[in-house]
Amino acid sequence: MTQLIRDSYRYRELIWALALKELKIRYKRSVLGFLWALLNPAFMMLVLTMVFSTIMRFPIQHYAIFLLSVLLPWTFFSQSLSYAVESIVSNGDLIKKVAVPKLVFPMAAVVSNIINLLLSLIPLALLVPILRHPFYWTWIYLPVPLLALAIFTLGMTFFFAAANVYYRDVAHILQVVLSAWFYVTPIIYPLDMLPKHYQWILRLNPIIFVINGFRLAVYYGQLPRLQSIAASFVCGFVSLTIGFAIFRKYQNDFVFYV
Amino acid sequence: MPSPETVIRLENVTQRFRVIQERPDTVRELFSKMFRKRSNAHNFEAVKNVSFEVARGEALAIIGRNGSGKSTLLKLIAGVYRPTKGRVTVTGTLAPLIELGAGFHHELTGRENILLNGLLMGYSKREMLERQQRIIDFAEIGEFIDAPVKQYSNGMYMRLAFAVAIEVDPEILVVDEILAVGDIGFQQKCFERLRRFRQAGKTILLVTHAMPNVEEHCDRALLIDHGSLMVDGSPAEAIATYRALLNLEVAAAP
Repeated sequence: MTQLIRDSYRYRELIWALALKELKIRYKRSVLGFLWALLNPAFMMLVLTMVFSTIMRFPIQHYAIFLLSVLLPWTFFSQSLSYAVESIVSNGDLIKKVAVPKLVFPMAAVVSNIINLLLSLIPLALLVPILRHPFYWTWIYLPVPLLALAIFTLGMTFFFAAANVYYRDVAHILQVVLSAWFYVTPIIYPLDMLPKHYQWILRLNPIIFVINGFRLAVYYGQLPRLQSIAASFVCGFVSLTIGFAIFRKYQNDFVFYV
Repeated sequence: MPSPETVIRLENVTQRFRVIQERPDTVRELFSKMFRKRSNAHNFEAVKNVSFEVARGEALAIIGRNGSGKSTLLKLIAGVYRPTKGRVTVTGTLAPLIELGAGFHHELTGRENILLNGLLMGYSKREMLERQQRIIDFAEIGEFIDAPVKQYSNGMYMRLAFAVAIEVDPEILVVDEILAVGDIGFQQKCFERLRRFRQAGKTILLVTHAMPNVEEHCDRALLIDHGSLMVDGSPAEAIATYRALLNLEVAAAP
């Protein structure tokens, strides 16, 4: 763990440069360029709002905000993983030629997606007053679940990026896992949809605490209970400790398999 | 204890690769292999029990046939591989010119690539910004520096990559068969720069097939064959053995 902190501090400029490179390349050759990072979620929100306020009416007020408050962090999570799982393999040429610390590649994938997530919160903040949903002071709490989510995501990316070096099926399996995971997580439905005595099943899902923190702060204007916050960080650190331990164990052999 | 003058030290270094004919790349292959229980992997030693030291200020050439293990040796020194056996100790900053432009991304501009390449080699952003102008000047890129490198000609690309490596001013420069880049004018400029580099008391490792370069620019040469160190001596000595080796091969051919 200390190695992780030391290396990521030491190579912070490289991680940042790689993350920016990723964003630059993603939006290169488009006329609107970086604006797409804002426009993409904005258009998605527009569509969702129209669909759920006119066509499919849920008994949930301002369903678009209800949904987006957790869909945006979820998108960050799944996009980070999808990018990072290939990050070692796709930088194979580099790894074979330059002695570069391997951890910078999954980290850069996560950092670039954090930037995307932060940008996508801007149109959400605009949507709240447009839909006349109250703008709660609890928004200032968001950095806390953001941090917990980033830690959790990073741990997962380390694991998947390392596993994909040895078995390229991992990238495909990941997509299956992510789509199943999306539905077992209360993203499109509320947490209390399940009957009381089945609620414990949801709590087996390590991402639920952090996801719930986002929704409480943005949609309900509440702060999660202390146990819930603690649980989100415990899940995060367990993921990071295991993920990085595996990554670290195999990182010197990546060069032979990429 | 390594003396302060030793900048590179290899002690009984062996690098083994597992050559697998049918590596299980997917889980399905893994399963089918588990049931067959027959491993068709065999080991290949690209570098066998090699030991040598390089002192500060030396210009060392590594010569040998294709596939003799020269590049593996360089990658071991550059830290790309961890040796299977033995130890590699390198003191001081090292700039690998192992494959020019390995860290370049063709959608980024020359300027952006200079920074990224420097960061990949372990330099800080500030250090790279300080050196940026010298790099641009040396590479003779001109206003193309702000164009994406995919628009560069081969020569421009190589010149920029060489300029980055030499102008970051490392203590050890590792050069793998790249001086064939650019026209004669640029090559002379590169050698001129290498000469000044040596005068500053810095160390050069050169892998090449161009024997005149070895004789002119190096004061010591290693001959590697089949992963083993055959000769460690003067360039003339190493080249003579190398020539004999090649002749032997030609004579043996049917």
